[in-house]
Amino acid sequence: MPSINTLSYRSAFNAGRKLPNSFIDDLFYHNVKFPFKNSPNPLSYFSSHVPCRQSNRSPPPCSVRATHLLPSSCRQTSKSRMSAKRKRPGPASDSVVTEHEKTVHEVIRNKKDMGASQWEMKREINVADNIITKCIKSLLSKNLIKEVKSIQSRGRKHYMSAEFEPSSEITGGAWYVEGSLDTEYINVLKEQCWRKIYGMKVATLEGIADALKRSNVSQIELSKQQVEEIVKALVLDNQVMEVKSTGTGEFASIPVGKVCYKCIGKRGYGGEPKLGALASIPCGACPQMSRCTPDGIISPNTCVYYQKWLDF
Amino acid sequence: MVPLYGIKCAVNLITTHFGDLVAKVCECLLRKGPLTLQATVRFTELTSSQVKNCLLVLIQHNCVQAFVLELSVEHGDAAKANTQYIALFDNIIHRWRFNKFLTIVSQNLDKQCVDLLEALLQHGRLTLKQMSDRAKSTQNEGDDVILDAVQEAVIKLLNAHFIERCPASEPVITNPTKQEVSARKRAAKSAKIFEEQETLEQRVVEAAAPSEALRFLLVAQTEPAADGGKDETNSSIVTPGEKRKRDALESETEYGAADEQVVLWRVNFEEFIRRLRHKACVENVKTRLDDGAVTVLKAMLEATRSTEKKVKTDNSVPLSLNSIYEEVIKSEEGRNITFDRVRAALIQLSCPPFVIAANESYSIDFKKIIELAQNEEVESIVLKRYGRDAYRMFRLLSNSGHLLETDKIADATFVEKKETPKILYKLWKDDYLQMEKLQVTGAKRLSQFLLWKVNKNILREHVLNEMFHAALNLVQRVAFELEPEKEMLNIPRDKLINRQRKVRLLLESSHMKLDDGIMLFHDF
Repeated sequence: MPSINTLSYRSAFNAGRKLPNSFIDDLFYHNVKFPFKNSPNPLSYFSSHVPCRQSNRSPPPCSVRATHLLPSSCRQTSKSRMSAKRKRPGPASDSVVTEHEKTVHEVIRNKKDMGASQWEMKREINVADNIITKCIKSLLSKNLIKEVKSIQSRGRKHYMSAEFEPSSEITGGAWYVEGSLDTEYINVLKEQCWRKIYGMKVATLEGIADALKRSNVSQIELSKQQVEEIVKALVLDNQVMEVKSTGTGEFASIPVGKVCYKCIGKRGYGGEPKLGALASIPCGACPQMSRCTPDGIISPNTCVYYQKWLDF
Repeated sequence: MVPLYGIKCAVNLITTHFGDLVAKVCECLLRKGPLTLQATVRFTELTSSQVKNCLLVLIQHNCVQAFVLELSVEHGDAAKANTQYIALFDNIIHRWRFNKFLTIVSQNLDKQCVDLLEALLQHGRLTLKQMSDRAKSTQNEGDDVILDAVQEAVIKLLNAHFIERCPASEPVITNPTKQEVSARKRAAKSAKIFEEQETLEQRVVEAAAPSEALRFLLVAQTEPAADGGKDETNSSIVTPGEKRKRDALESETEYGAADEQVVLWRVNFEEFIRRLRHKACVENVKTRLDDGAVTVLKAMLEATRSTEKKVKTDNSVPLSLNSIYEEVIKSEEGRNITFDRVRAALIQLSCPPFVIAANESYSIDFKKIIELAQNEEVESIVLKRYGRDAYRMFRLLSNSGHLLETDKIADATFVEKKETPKILYKLWKDDYLQMEKLQVTGAKRLSQFLLWKVNKNILREHVLNEMFHAALNLVQRVAFELEPEKEMLNIPRDKLINRQRKVRLLLESSHMKLDDGIMLFHDF
């Protein structure tokens, strides 16, 4: 009779694995000793040492399994047999896609151009982590899926079926390279846009896009939406302002009501906006403002920013 | 509502100008709202006569206004009416701006007027006799000559609305009737909650103010001096106010010559603030448009100023193109401007709508100009404190005026998706943004979105409080730098004095500039 201890291990071992009871019975009947001293968690021992079955059709003989777990003195005899069995997913079965691989591939393919992370796969199909990892590896080697970088979670691996191109939600759109923002490219485009607007005095979106196309600033042709994004960013930078055409004066060539863009004021590109009254004294930029009191530890009398400012 | 640091600034000002006792009474009134004499005595724990004297000083300097609150008949005995005292926060803070006021007068009028205004600023309220007595003590001329000169200066100041008759000492205010209360409650729901208290201060000031006709009238002189009525003749529009003025002229016998000596005069802060407001508008437009547009705007301000009833006016009175041109060519820099240039300048001005054009007449959109200046001020703080990415995000939210989702903000501002929430969180923590969490239960899991928004009203209060805080810091630092103990340090005397001079100059000029910012958020 198996002891209480072995029973609890037995049920834990079998959880989620759906192994035939007979197989496990055999295992425990042979009074298999688990080297718990080296591996305190019997489950982890099993998961790393007992290869899972690929299908139910040919249950492996218990002896093989058991011998694998036997103490080293007994193991010698069955070593040759075991290694022969272990070679099963060898070169011969390379082109064959297993059941699990099929399911995993199906899940990834269903996600289309969004792809899926391993975590998402696990949620959809109830299969152990290690199996999924394995499937992914073999699918990758068979070029059925590919790994893509996602801007949402750059640390986590993301997989996509080979026939799809990653969607803009994954890559972040045209402004992202390898999952991170291409700031240099954006800044160059911004400056070029500003120069075009400055040259034209008042410009419409189409005008700016045209001018950019003619000057070959970017090797890749920019869509109208991309130009708009750049110009909108310039507006947020307070370099350019958005105005509606009045149809008179400088807007003479533009229909009334059309949105146009104009450079702001007299400063050049990258010029700082006018410094406000509060921003021009240390308190304006002080991160400790809320802790500053007339006679506290942080006070105008002891302030280090003031010290620096009034250093004559 | 007065911001917390605003009260601290006001108390600091009163302490340096009138000492601790007066400041104590003033602080009590500022913090607790209107109080009777007895209540003030109880709260300040001073003697009755001390409080009385302090209140007299504050009233003399227009920092406190007395009023009688008459309870409505429903409450029973109507006779139960006590005199209450209310601190006028704005007038206290105006004490910072005396130099600015003097500069304005020196730019517009002669030295005699500047001297007279200085005396009024120093003493709060003066009668004509006191003014001439003061002049006598400084000048060695005949009594009549001095009296004439003083009177002339007073007339000039009155015509420019720089000084005014003092308000009634104890106006009677009736409690709002039921209808009014319910109307106000309804309004309060849509407006800010603190409207109630402000209306009391406003109501008291309104009730105390002399009628528009008498306000700028020196009784002895029925005919304004030759250069006097300039303001009236300049504007082609006859306002109802002017008609009332004429009516009042006829009834002036009530205020006989005997009264003349007792009438108290004081500085009309409102007019100065109005002029500073106009100046701020011109400065703001100057940074955006060329000199021609600025000249036209100046002319428009000059032409419409006398018709403005209160400081915080949204729009000026509409002017026709012809009357604008007439005004433009009056000024020196406008003399070489052609009619067409004025028309072009007006088009330029209406592009970001500083000027609203309707039916061939033009009016200045003060509200828009001031709002733009306020936005610029806040944005520059954000830029300085949180960097360029935060600046872009803040501008996006401020311009859109509604809730936006974190990822949308990241896309529009070209900031890394991971960095965006960090920056937004910093802004939120310091009360520059409002955040709302939105939880959506999807097919399989609960997803949470963060939405962000700029609430301009709350933000304005917050920035104003920070500005008062910074102003208080500057004042405190000046006092600290000039402490006499510093002389005991091992620094050579001339070096110390040199340093003190530089530090003081920098701190005080910064304070003046900061005060412009405070006016932008509080007074304009």
